[in-house]
Amino acid sequence: MDPILSEIYQTVLGAAPYVIIAYALMWMILLVYVLIMVFSLKKTEKQMAALTEELRLRQKG
Amino acid sequence: MAELTIVRPSAFKQFRVLLGKELRQEFRTREMLTSMGIYALLVLVIFGAALSQAAQGFDILQVSGGLIWALIVFTSLLGLNRSFSSEKEEAALEGILLMPMDRSLIFLSKATSNLIFLLLVELISLPLFYFFFLTISSPAPSFWMASLPLLVGSIGIAGVGTLLATITSNARGKDVLLALLFIPIIYPLLHAVVAATTVVVVGGDNLVGTFATSLALAGGYDVVMLALSWFLYEFVISN
Amino acid sequence: MRERTIFDSLAWMALLLGALLSTAGFVLAFTTAPMVKGVDLQVFAQIGGVHVDYQLLFSQKIFYFHMPVAITSFIALLFTAIYSIIFLVKKDPKYDLRARIATEIALVFVLMTMASGMLWERYEWGVWWTWEPRLTTYFILTLMVIAYFILRRALDDPERRATYAAVFGVIAAVNAPISFLITRIIPTRTHPVIFRTDSGLPPDMLLPLLLSMFGILMVAFGIYRFRLREQRLRLQLEDLKAQLED
Repeated sequence: MDPILSEIYQTVLGAAPYVIIAYALMWMILLVYVLIMVFSLKKTEKQMAALTEELRLRQKG
Repeated sequence: MAELTIVRPSAFKQFRVLLGKELRQEFRTREMLTSMGIYALLVLVIFGAALSQAAQGFDILQVSGGLIWALIVFTSLLGLNRSFSSEKEEAALEGILLMPMDRSLIFLSKATSNLIFLLLVELISLPLFYFFFLTISSPAPSFWMASLPLLVGSIGIAGVGTLLATITSNARGKDVLLALLFIPIIYPLLHAVVAATTVVVVGGDNLVGTFATSLALAGGYDVVMLALSWFLYEFVISN
Repeated sequence: MRERTIFDSLAWMALLLGALLSTAGFVLAFTTAPMVKGVDLQVFAQIGGVHVDYQLLFSQKIFYFHMPVAITSFIALLFTAIYSIIFLVKKDPKYDLRARIATEIALVFVLMTMASGMLWERYEWGVWWTWEPRLTTYFILTLMVIAYFILRRALDDPERRATYAAVFGVIAAVNAPISFLITRIIPTRTHPVIFRTDSGLPPDMLLPLLLSMFGILMVAFGIYRFRLREQRLRLQLEDLKAQLED
């Protein structure tokens, strides 16, 4: 590669892993939170459905 | 029939009565002061061990401001934790709350008594600090000015600390919890007063500028945080 | 059953639009946005017809997301304070729930800020940690947000828990800017790190920044609404359970 160009781009290659890891970490933290939220929402909704059904049955019987 | 007049005591008088109660209670047993004093002494011993391997020419003055404040923060944590234990044990706070008075007076008297105890402990432990660590080095002649940041810092610690200690006195695991709430909140004040203390102990040029700036910032922190604590105390105490 | 407000239907849209906008911001940041000038070089070259005599800084690309995320975390904390104050005035538990969820969002975004900030700083300043104003403030902020949740767990009585958490939330939100101000204004005596560049963005890279800014704010809003819905459902569930036990 042209020595001048390699001078100019000197920090790009070195910084690349840091940039990639930074974005990866950010997305990961957000994803973990969203996943926890979605799973707990699903669980609550399931319990809710079961309970409503139970209540309905009781009121009938 | 004789007319019965009820004179409502002035706010200042109520404050004096409350403060007198706090002080009398403490000076009767001296429980808190002794434990704080002993604890401060032991922290000094730990500093001795921590610095024992430092090189001969090591300039203790550079870190002495920080060490003094580490000592004060740890000691005040102990005192703040204790300051509500007697209320808890004897349910004294409930009694005070029955009285028809401005709730913020309770905060003021508590904070003032905590400040007085903290200053008393500083009065004993800081000469000891000087004796143990600073006699071989020569602090700048301006070192007596450190009393100003000490006062400003102690006011902030006592004010915010009283509010947070009231909060944690009702919580589980209150000792650790108080430290966890207290230290991040007090950090900016600590940063400012350490700067002010260090600069007068070390001396050198640009002394007045740094000293004035950090002291003004510490004072600003005190004003904001004390006003906030005063205002919020009502919610804490009535719950 | 609670009726669904307009905010609930907005949540999906906000989430979707936010994801789109921030993706666009992300793509633009790496394609059209020019790289930031670094150290001046004695030599030059023509790149795409542009005269370049400086190093190009790639690490600055982190800022296209770092800054929006940081601002979002501050806004979330601001909402903690606002809802806390409303709670203290009205004593309505629904504001306590809102304050708690806002703080949760603040925690997530503060952690994201810390992670991305530390990686940038590791490359540009050469250290993982230094007591620099922004870093210190964010560290203090992280500790306060964690302390907020530990305080909540340590209190059993719901009303007391809500009140104390609200009081601490207000103090924490006031403390964060003070902390930044104080650590920034007071000069440090030691400078152990070499600052290769200062942070900040030149105006010609504003478009991707703005895109990701709005995108992330919308994502945060969407997440907040979903979390709120989920927590409300959980409260209803508790109610139902209590009814069944009677």
